[in-house]
Formats: sequence, structure tokens, C-alpha cells
Amino acid sequence: MKNKRRLIFRIAALAIVLVIAAVMFVIGRGHTMYFDNKEIEYNGQTIGSYYKVNVELNGKEVARLSSGDRGMGEIMGQSLKMTVIITDEKDAKPHAHKISMSVPYSMDGITINIPALMAGLPEDAYLSEFEILAPAEDEEGTDEANPDDMGTEEFEMGDI
Amino acid sequence: MNKNTENKTPLNWGAMLRQASVPIMFIIICVICIPISGLSANMLINEIITRMGRNAFLILSLLIPIMAGMGLNFGMTLGAMAAEIGLILVSDWQIIGIPGMVLAAIVSVPISVLLGIFCGRILNQAKGREMITSYIMSFFVNGIYQLVVLYLMGSVIPIRHASIKLPRGYGIRNTVSLLGMRQKLDNVLAINVAGVKIPLLTFIIIGLLCLFIVWFRRTKLGQDMRAVGQDMEVARDAGINVERTRIISIVMSTVLAGLGMVIYLQNMGNIATYSAHSQIGMFCIAALLVGGASVDRASIGNVFLGVILFHTMFIVAPRAGAYITGDSMIGEYFRVFVSYAVITIALVMYETNKRRARNASGQRLAAAQKEDEEKTAGKEGEQ
Amino acid sequence: MTESNTMKDKIAEGLKNFGVPRLIIAGFLLLLLIMAPFVGADLPTQISNIINRFSWNGILVLAMVPMVHSGCGLNFGLPLGIISGLLGATLSIEFGFTGGFSFLMAILIATPFALVLGSAYGWLLNKIKGGEMMIATYVGFSSVSFMCMMWLLLPYHSPNMVWGLSGKGLRTTISLEGYYNQALAGILQINIGNISIPTGTILFFALLSFGIWAFLHTKTGTAMTAVGSNPVFAKAAGINVDGIRMLSVIMSTWLAAIGILVYEQGFGFIQLYMAPFYMALPAVSAILIGGASVNKATIMNVIVGTILFQGIVTMTPTVMNNMVHMDMSEVIRIIASMGMILFALTRKTEASR
Repeated sequence: MKNKRRLIFRIAALAIVLVIAAVMFVIGRGHTMYFDNKEIEYNGQTIGSYYKVNVELNGKEVARLSSGDRGMGEIMGQSLKMTVIITDEKDAKPHAHKISMSVPYSMDGITINIPALMAGLPEDAYLSEFEILAPAEDEEGTDEANPDDMGTEEFEMGDI
Repeated sequence: MNKNTENKTPLNWGAMLRQASVPIMFIIICVICIPISGLSANMLINEIITRMGRNAFLILSLLIPIMAGMGLNFGMTLGAMAAEIGLILVSDWQIIGIPGMVLAAIVSVPISVLLGIFCGRILNQAKGREMITSYIMSFFVNGIYQLVVLYLMGSVIPIRHASIKLPRGYGIRNTVSLLGMRQKLDNVLAINVAGVKIPLLTFIIIGLLCLFIVWFRRTKLGQDMRAVGQDMEVARDAGINVERTRIISIVMSTVLAGLGMVIYLQNMGNIATYSAHSQIGMFCIAALLVGGASVDRASIGNVFLGVILFHTMFIVAPRAGAYITGDSMIGEYFRVFVSYAVITIALVMYETNKRRARNASGQRLAAAQKEDEEKTAGKEGEQ
Repeated sequence: MTESNTMKDKIAEGLKNFGVPRLIIAGFLLLLLIMAPFVGADLPTQISNIINRFSWNGILVLAMVPMVHSGCGLNFGLPLGIISGLLGATLSIEFGFTGGFSFLMAILIATPFALVLGSAYGWLLNKIKGGEMMIATYVGFSSVSFMCMMWLLLPYHSPNMVWGLSGKGLRTTISLEGYYNQALAGILQINIGNISIPTGTILFFALLSFGIWAFLHTKTGTAMTAVGSNPVFAKAAGINVDGIRMLSVIMSTWLAAIGILVYEQGFGFIQLYMAPFYMALPAVSAILIGGASVNKATIMNVIVGTILFQGIVTMTPTVMNNMVHMDMSEVIRIIASMGMILFALTRKTEASR
């Protein structure tokens, strides 16, 4: 009887841990957002860029884009909540828009074209994946080592 | 029993002084080096607070095996490796921030448990030389870790991102960036007191671990561990499963070390894939010993005193060395030397004390026997 | 070729008392040797490499024997002896000796250092009977890191050794070209095709091994074995236990000093600073692979162990590389040698303390 209860407790604990892990997968997923203030063509329709766009994530300005610029910011989780402050022309009064949307889970780097987004075009127009190329540095896991030093790491003190 | 304590009292002062000798030595080193290094008090305190948040959890993980009489657990590197595997996977899955840390911890725990059981079993076969065995164990598991990280990751275990994978297609790069996780834990609830940043949440977690350890000492299992640590045979006669208790203590230590390593690495902000764990054991043990702990006795107080003293030395020694000799490497080597020397001294003191205790108990036994004989002789005389 | 024959004989003979891990390692090496020609590795070169590496490392492994015999356990403090050797080597060059003579002088200069350091080390180990191995490890580490400072601070001036720019502080590696590079290996060297045998080095190793073997059969030597196998009995028999242990530690330290000099003359370079740090581990695992245990070691264990260990060290990279294009040799080496030490540590020792 006692064993059975113990088993149930253990399974429950394991289940809770797994649930926590699953939740972490969702809420902790990091995305790098790239914001474009660029002219875009979609279905033969051309949408011009704005004079200036400021992007705020969580109340913090992450990008200040002139026409043709790209900026970036980091978000965590599946929903993007941002404030876009648009200045249409020089000396025009800027107007702010609060935008919230969900982003695809599997993309690491997501580019959003703000003019296309503001123009109300469908998702495939304004959202695209941006792939970062791997750093091209030549790095090897282990150095050519003297066979007698056991391969235990060289004395790298560094910071502790 | 009464007699033992009476016999011990006159020795106490000498014993206390011996025990405090290492901390005193360190205080002297620090007092000499701090002014020479030219660091401002503010900067020094900042550094020490950072390092305390970074290392205290790891060092606390050493306490439980000491309680169980298994000495300094050089096998804590096993937990560190488990945590690194967890963090590498998590950074490939692109889970960032505190959720990333939690997930890495969740991944590391089963690995730590398995490694801990393995290590505990081996140590049970090598009673009386746990330390050297756990030390070699850390090298052995390092070999397995390299096998996994350098060859299996990317070829068997899927790794998607080229930023952490070697260009050849499998294996992990020398450094894995944890930018998305960097100091995320430290920055929550961080408060600023006169220019000193205090990572409150990290300290709360460390405090909780301290409470846990205090509580754990009082549980049945904790009591068993202490009994095993005092005398395995007596504990066995009292019906304690000695082997199992010892394995549990190592498993707990390994798991805690893994969690500690996650905290450590989130503060550092990157993983030195092939070397981050190799020195961890040594420095944590040195810090604990500097705090006045010995191989068979360590308290939470030792941990914090040790972190402060050891890391003060660690921060100021290179600068002081550079100032005195004009060569910055001297200070670097000096702090390494001091770390090793401290461990050596502590080990030597432990062994000599053990021997002295053994001799003393032998003498007591002889004296008791003699007394018994005299008593019986006296009784016989009376009759 | 007789070399591999005797090896096979040894394996066959030792089947019973070899134990499983040793068999696996021997079998693994045999497999590597058999596979080598098929994957395109040149077998004679490989064998020549093994013999060479054996000749470099033999004496360092031999340095384990006296301490194991006297019950001090495996000498994890080998770096202390190595440091004596390094002091001898650098001082010999500093004093301007050249060629083969510098090797002789290096040995002569290293000897007093080895005696003094060995005595201190032996005295310490006598204080802490029962905890020798752990403390030996840390004595080795402390001394290496202490010497790291000394290599920078000691007033060396020889332009071949100090950093060119600042004119002080020794370099991390010092070439022995013009000094005792191949000093022993060059003597009576035999070259058959791709195989070259450093006869001089092997003879030197044989000489020292014979010396140790003969010593172990003298009165003092048997006393040493007695101390190792049963200290209580030895004490009762009137043997000066501490003195004998001290002697064994000094011998081990001196052999380590000579060992590193022989290693250097084969390798061609002196390696300073952190290089000696982990040098005890290959030597320890080599003698264990050869069939020694924590408290029993023979000259035969040294020879077999060094050949097996160096065989694996030499063969795995080539064979693995040619076969799977993946150099896993380092990982295999770590796992195999550390596994071996772990295995030995978990065996119950017959001797009581």
C-alpha cells in the first residue's frame, strides 16, 4: 500500500516536471526579430517605406529605422508585442501603433517588414525567416596535442 | 563517553588554532595584497558579491558528501558536465532566459543522477580512498563527456545550429554562447546598494539551499548519513544501509553541483565547452577549505567565508603580483599555486589529525583496559 | 619481431592473472596491429614508433615500482621528480654544457635535487600513512605550480632558453638541438628499413630496470617488499619502516628525474611550466595496464604496461583516422587509461595498513 502510494507520488512528480519542461519550451523560446523599413513589392503592388520608424519592445526602444534600414531585437515566447512609432514624412507628427501577434515557433530569426505589416498585407508578405550564416572561423574541438598530456585541458585559468 | 570529552578539552585551543590557520593565512595574504593591487573598495566588493552569487551554490554541493564521511567530492565535476550538456542542448533549442535555465536544470538532473549513482557505486568499492577515486572519476567521465560532446553531438544527438556546431558537421565548438541567458537570473530583483549590484534572486536561491541543508541534517536520512560518516561499522550494526546512504549522498551532491553549474554559467554568459568543468572542482574545494573546513567537517559558514577570502585572493593576486614583479603571469601562477597548496595543507592536516586521533583512541583503549584490570585486581584484592 | 613474440607469450602466460580489463586492452592493441596494414598504415613505422615511445617513457613508469613496493601506493607525485629532472636539464644547459656530455651533467645536477625533494616528500608521506595517493597528487600539483613561478623568476640567462624579447624567464619549450637531443637513442642505433631501434635508450632502461630488480633482491630490497606487504610484521621484525619508505620515495623521485631526462632526449624538447602537471597519470595507468596493482608491481609489469599503453597511444590515431576519418584516439586514451586506474583503485588490497 505504502509502495503504491509512493509510486503514484513519483509518477505525479515526474509528470509535473515534464509539464514544467514543456511550458519552458513554449514560454522560453527565443526569437531574434529583424525589423525592416524597406520598400516592398507584393502582387504587383508597391508599398513605400516610411521616413522613420521607431520600434519598442516591452517599452524599450530597440530600433530606430530610417528608410531602408533594418534593426533587430530579441523576444522570448510566442507572442510579439511591440509599439511601432511611425513618422511618415520629415517633420510630420509621429503616430504610434500597438501591435501584438504570434510568431511561428520554428523560426529563430524572423524578419518583419513594417510597411507591409502596416498596410495590412497577409502574413507571407511581411514575415519571412532570416537565417544567420554560421561564423566562418576555423575552429577545431581539440588541438594537436602531445600524446602524453592525457588530453586533459591545458591549464586554462580564465575567470572563475 | 564522558571521559572522551574531558580528554579533549585541554586540546581544544590548539585544535581550534590549527583549524583556523588556513583562514588566518588567507586573511594575511589578502590584507597585504589588497592595497598593493590598487583596487577600489567598491570594485572589490562588487567583484566579491558577483563571485559569491556565482560560486556559492556549487560549493554548497560539497557539504553533503563530507557529512557522509566521503571526503571532498572531486566528482562534483560530474554534475558540472551534466549541466553543460543541458545548457548546450537548451541553447540549440533556442530556449532563453530563466525558462532556458529551468529547462537546462531539468535536462541535467537525470544525467547527474545516473552519473552520481555510477560514481557512488565505484566509491563504495574504494572505501578509504574515496577522494583519489572520485578525482580519477572526474577524469574518466571527462573522457566520456568529450566522446559525447565532440563526436556524438551533431551526429547522433541532433544539433541544428551552426553557431554552436563545429564546421566539420559534428561536435560542439570550443565556446558556446549563452547570450540569451546571460545574467538573466542575477538581474531579476537585482538591487543596487551604493554602486554595488546585488543579485537578490540568486542569493535567495542560495539561501533556500542553505535552509535545505540545515533541514536535511535533521531528517532521518541526514542523521543516517552522519552516522555513516562517523563509523560505517557502527552504522551498519544500527541497521543503516551504508552503501545506499553513501550513494544517495553522492547523487545529491552531483545533482546540486549540476544546478550550481547552471547558475555559474548563466552568470558567465558562455560555456567553455571543454574546460569549464575541469577546474571547477578544484576551485570550489579550495574555496571551501580556505573557509576553514576540513575533509571531515564543513559548515555553511565555511562556504561563505571561503568564497570571500579565496576570491579576494583570486582577484587581487594577479594585480599585486604584476605590481611587485612587473610580470602579470607571476600573479596568475601564484593564485594557482596557492589553491593547490591550500588543498595540500588541508589534506595533510586531515591525515595527521586522523592518525593522531587513532593513536589517542588506541591509548585510551589501552588505558581503559589497564583501569579495568586494576579494578578487577582491586576487587580481587578486596575479596 | 621477437618483441611481439614475447609479448604474445606474456599475454598467453598471464591470461589467468591478467584480469579482464587488461585482456580487453591487450586484445584491442592486437586488433589495431592486425588492422593497421588493411587500413593502409605502415606497420613497420608503427612498430618503430611504439618501440621509440616505449624507450622514452619506460623509466617514468619504472619510477612507480619502488613506492608501490614499500606500500606507498601509486606515485601520483611523479611531477616532483620530474621537476628535479627539469632543474637538472635547465641548469646543465645554463652552465654551458653541450652535446652528449650535457645529458650526463643533467643527470648529475638533477640527482641532489631529487635526493632533497625526495627526502622531504618521503618525510611528508611518512606523516600521513594511509592517505598517500591523494596527497601525492596534490604535492605534485603544488610543486608544478610553484615551479611555474620559479621558471619565470630564477635568473636564467642562456639565450637558448629564455624568452628572446625580455631576456628573462624560461620559454615553455626549449629545443635540445645541440645539447642532448638523441644522446642515448643515437648510441648503437639500428636501422632496418622503416624500423629504427634506439638501442642506447633501451639499454639504459634495461640497465636501470636490472638495477631495480637486483636491488629488490638485496636485503634492503626484501625489507622494502616486507614493509609494503605487511608493515606491522615488518616493524615486529625490526625493520625501520619509516626509513625504508623514505628510501623508496627517494628512489622513485630520482627515477622520475632520470625518466624525464630520457624522455626529453628522445622527444628533443624540454617542456616546462604546466607540462609536467598530468605526467603522472599516463605512467600510473601504464603500470596498471601492465598488471600491477596498488600494492604490487614488478619490472615485467613495467615493460608489458609501457608497451601496451604506448602501443595504444601510437596506433589508435593512425588506425582510427584511416578507418573512420575521425580522430577519437584522445578520447579513447582518456577513457581507457582512467578506466584502468579506476579499476585498480576499486580492487581490494591484500595488505593492511
